[in-house]
Amino acid sequence: MHGGACMNELLESLQFIYGPQIANGLAIGMAVVLMALGLTIIFGLLDVINMSHGEFYALGAYLAVTLAGQGVNFWFCLVLVPLLMAAIGYFTERTLIQRVFHSKDRHILTLLLTFGLAIITEDLFKLGYGPNPYKPESPIPGASELFGIMLPNYRVFLIVAGSCIIVAVWMLVYRTRLGAMVRAAAWDKHMAASLGVPVERVYAGTFAFGVALAGLSGVLLAPIYSVFPTMGKDFILMAFTVVIVGGMGSIKGAVIAGLLLTQVQSISSLFISPVWSEPLVFGIMVLFLIVRPQGLAGRLGHG
Amino acid sequence: MLSLDAIHTYYGLSHILQGVSLQLGAGEVLGLFGRNGVGKSTLIKTIAGWVVPTQGSMTFNGVSIAGLTPDRICRQGIGLVPEDRRIFPGLSVEENLRLGLMQAPHRSRAAAQHALDQTFSRFPRLAERRHQMGTTLSGGEQQMLAIARVLVGTPRLLLIDEPTEGLAPMIVDEIFQLIASLRAEGVSILLVEQNVMRAMPVCDRIVALERGTVVFEGQAQSASDRERLVAAIAV
Repeated sequence: MHGGACMNELLESLQFIYGPQIANGLAIGMAVVLMALGLTIIFGLLDVINMSHGEFYALGAYLAVTLAGQGVNFWFCLVLVPLLMAAIGYFTERTLIQRVFHSKDRHILTLLLTFGLAIITEDLFKLGYGPNPYKPESPIPGASELFGIMLPNYRVFLIVAGSCIIVAVWMLVYRTRLGAMVRAAAWDKHMAASLGVPVERVYAGTFAFGVALAGLSGVLLAPIYSVFPTMGKDFILMAFTVVIVGGMGSIKGAVIAGLLLTQVQSISSLFISPVWSEPLVFGIMVLFLIVRPQGLAGRLGHG
Repeated sequence: MLSLDAIHTYYGLSHILQGVSLQLGAGEVLGLFGRNGVGKSTLIKTIAGWVVPTQGSMTFNGVSIAGLTPDRICRQGIGLVPEDRRIFPGLSVEENLRLGLMQAPHRSRAAAQHALDQTFSRFPRLAERRHQMGTTLSGGEQQMLAIARVLVGTPRLLLIDEPTEGLAPMIVDEIFQLIASLRAEGVSILLVEQNVMRAMPVCDRIVALERGTVVFEGQAQSASDRERLVAAIAV
């Protein structure tokens, strides 16, 4: 009798306390993973730490808000914004990154360049849209019960769509010739070029792809987090943490670390003040840097 | 076919190639010999576009290739089998081979598949291991893969740099047989090889490089030319 009561209590706490928290963490986790994937692929292939990745995320969200203001349907935005962002990413790589890419101080120069780009973009958001947040309406209102857990419909959609996109990215990188070109160029760009791989275009295309993923997570998260000028800055720290813990340049690592760290954040906030959940996550990152600086998995194309 | 005229190449401040001129005709196998550090590999890398010459002209079938990027040079029909093979880790044997198809990106899907099938039938061991990671192959198999990867693109000129380095004698035999059969098929080859005695029989012409310039040029079939080449590259 006593054991049964304990079991019931456990099930109830799973259903009403942990369940929703885990599911919400999973929804945010998907968007974090998409962000981190873009960041880690760009680093793995181009060896560029893209400090403006957060602002590309914000730009995706602002584009979605602007298009919605023109009466464009959310589902159409979900397709259109990543395409626009890819074009912006391609242009950024060809006109800005390429200029300093072949320099000896590539790491510092690209870091400063993308950092400057981030500051400018953030200020442009302030000038264009003002400091106040926009809160787009949820495209799928309401909630449903799943396994006895009440969940907002939009978050369920986020989990499903996010999983599909992550699988699609993995297939693209590991199952197509385009992906093989990217991995080969990440490993040995000279040899890849000597086999006819147009390395410069692969670089720009990969940067564009990463930026499109950032924009996509911007569109997806806008209805949950609202849209404001510094939204990128707040989010990029989490994405960088995921990339470091997962292993710089690793796709598998980014997925695992992204889902794990968002769970740590969301479950820990049940026990400690949410103010402490961020230091906890960054503490894990510091620990990884000390104990296992290569992260959970190896680099893109490096096995 | 390939024509180099007074090529100068620097690595930083080191003046490696100091006015190299040479010609390679269609269907010809040219052996390039010399001691370590005289610039043989740099010459290969210069032709492949990995290093850009500071002076001189370089044409392939009448098209200037000096200053072109490696992928453009490759698509002109120049295939590279580099020193140390440089197989991509994390890519399977088949993925490594399929990348070689990029040399001729405008080929039809059927033609590409045909080239791939032909390569697999030429290298049955690669066919058996097609799903294995490229870097898990033995040294000899990796060398075969490095050559096969270029052959799928049906290049008009092959640059082969030290193909037998560090390989067992039996594999070395296989590699020279392969080069001999490519020569019989009329593929033009620029071959850099330490094993001078083994390499000369598969060559048409032989060239000795010393301190970044050509110091001797002769016919591989002439016994006296072979002796003079050996004398030229000995200290």
